[in-house]
Amino acid sequence: MVREIVLKDIWFSYIKKKYVLRGVNIKLRRGLTLVVGPNASGKTTLLKVASCIYMPDQGRVLVDGVSYWDMPDEEKERVRRNIVYVHESPILIRGSVLDNIMAGLLLRGIDRRVAEKKALVLLERWHMRHLMMKRRSELSRGEQQLVCIIRALLLSPDFMFLDEPLAHLDLRNRRLIVELIRDIKRDRAVVVASNNPHPLLDDADHAILIQNGVVVGRNTHEVKDLLVEAW
Amino acid sequence: MLITMEELPGIIMRSIMISGTATLLSTAWSLPLTIKLSLSKHPLKESLMGILNSLVGFPTVLVGLLLYLVFSSSGPLGMLRLIYTPQAIIIGEALLITPLMMSLLYEVVCRSVSVYWELAISLGASKRRATWFVMEQTLPELMIVLLMSFSRAIGELGVALLVGGNIKGFTRVITTSIALAIEAGEFDLAVFLGMVLLTMMILLATTVRLLRAWLEK
Repeated sequence: MVREIVLKDIWFSYIKKKYVLRGVNIKLRRGLTLVVGPNASGKTTLLKVASCIYMPDQGRVLVDGVSYWDMPDEEKERVRRNIVYVHESPILIRGSVLDNIMAGLLLRGIDRRVAEKKALVLLERWHMRHLMMKRRSELSRGEQQLVCIIRALLLSPDFMFLDEPLAHLDLRNRRLIVELIRDIKRDRAVVVASNNPHPLLDDADHAILIQNGVVVGRNTHEVKDLLVEAW
Repeated sequence: MLITMEELPGIIMRSIMISGTATLLSTAWSLPLTIKLSLSKHPLKESLMGILNSLVGFPTVLVGLLLYLVFSSSGPLGMLRLIYTPQAIIIGEALLITPLMMSLLYEVVCRSVSVYWELAISLGASKRRATWFVMEQTLPELMIVLLMSFSRAIGELGVALLVGGNIKGFTRVITTSIALAIEAGEFDLAVFLGMVLLTMMILLATTVRLLRAWLEK
């Protein structure tokens, strides 16, 4: 189980010395954390570093107090199984919605029949069973985003990182995803990056404001007040 | 007749074997190099890709000439006795298609490989499973790159002529046979061989189109 992820003095660049994150220090824990900031402020990179996908150039990612990038491979794999990141642009594989939902479990070596059973329960729970045989090209962007979130949810991670989950969605799908986030944040950590987090403001337990790769606000009330003011 | 009908299947098979091996050989260095390059944070990475892109149309005859100078008996690698052998053509074609292959692979790696790798890792796959997953998901795109590179290799003349020497039953391939037929004034044969080459190209292009259509599903 992963309880806490701490980023300590994180510096990250895609091109040498051109830092996208500059000395980031944050603590992520249970509940809903909003990471807000304008476009190209470093939100996505921050989420990818915090979810242990990208290795920082400098600084440490501490998972329950232990530096992730110094862990042995088996330990990294154990940690990784408790952290899931959902990309801003939905990434779906070839095959049906059901194949996509099951992909995470199959990648973890779970038997296909078991995976299918679990996937069907979740599809039923979120009223998506009618989509299960559709292929990725037949889905709207909102439906694709939902499939990606359900796929992540099926893995029951302790930490879920959602990158702009509300972007480009119609009202109905937006409501559904907000409802979904409210449901999952009860018993796990959900970190949402967004430059338009308005629908989630009331539900947020923590908020972080990032600008030009620097965390400029981590006082939840202040950041929330700032956002309400901006709206 | 300069080239008999009985010789034709052999020439076609030799062309496929030589260009196929050259494609695989080029893949052996192009794929790891491209992955390394795509992961690099070096500021000159994009400039290097720009240079590779501009080398895609590198004249085949120039590659042939350079290799001739290297492989000829007085050249630095003359002792390998590779000149006028199928191996020399394979090396030449592999080098010739490397810029094209790397340019195409770079697109695939940046667009798909990194995306599927990230997806697999973010879904908690082990490195071994993630590697299989990426290969499974990007195989059709990699096949397209291989087919396009093969297409460039099988249609080239400069390398095959200069370092292969067009030796009957040994290094004679479709393009060198066409050149020989034209030189001998046997235009019917040249046109026929040209049609064979064209048919192969069309088949390859059709396969690429079908793979692309399947990919988009």
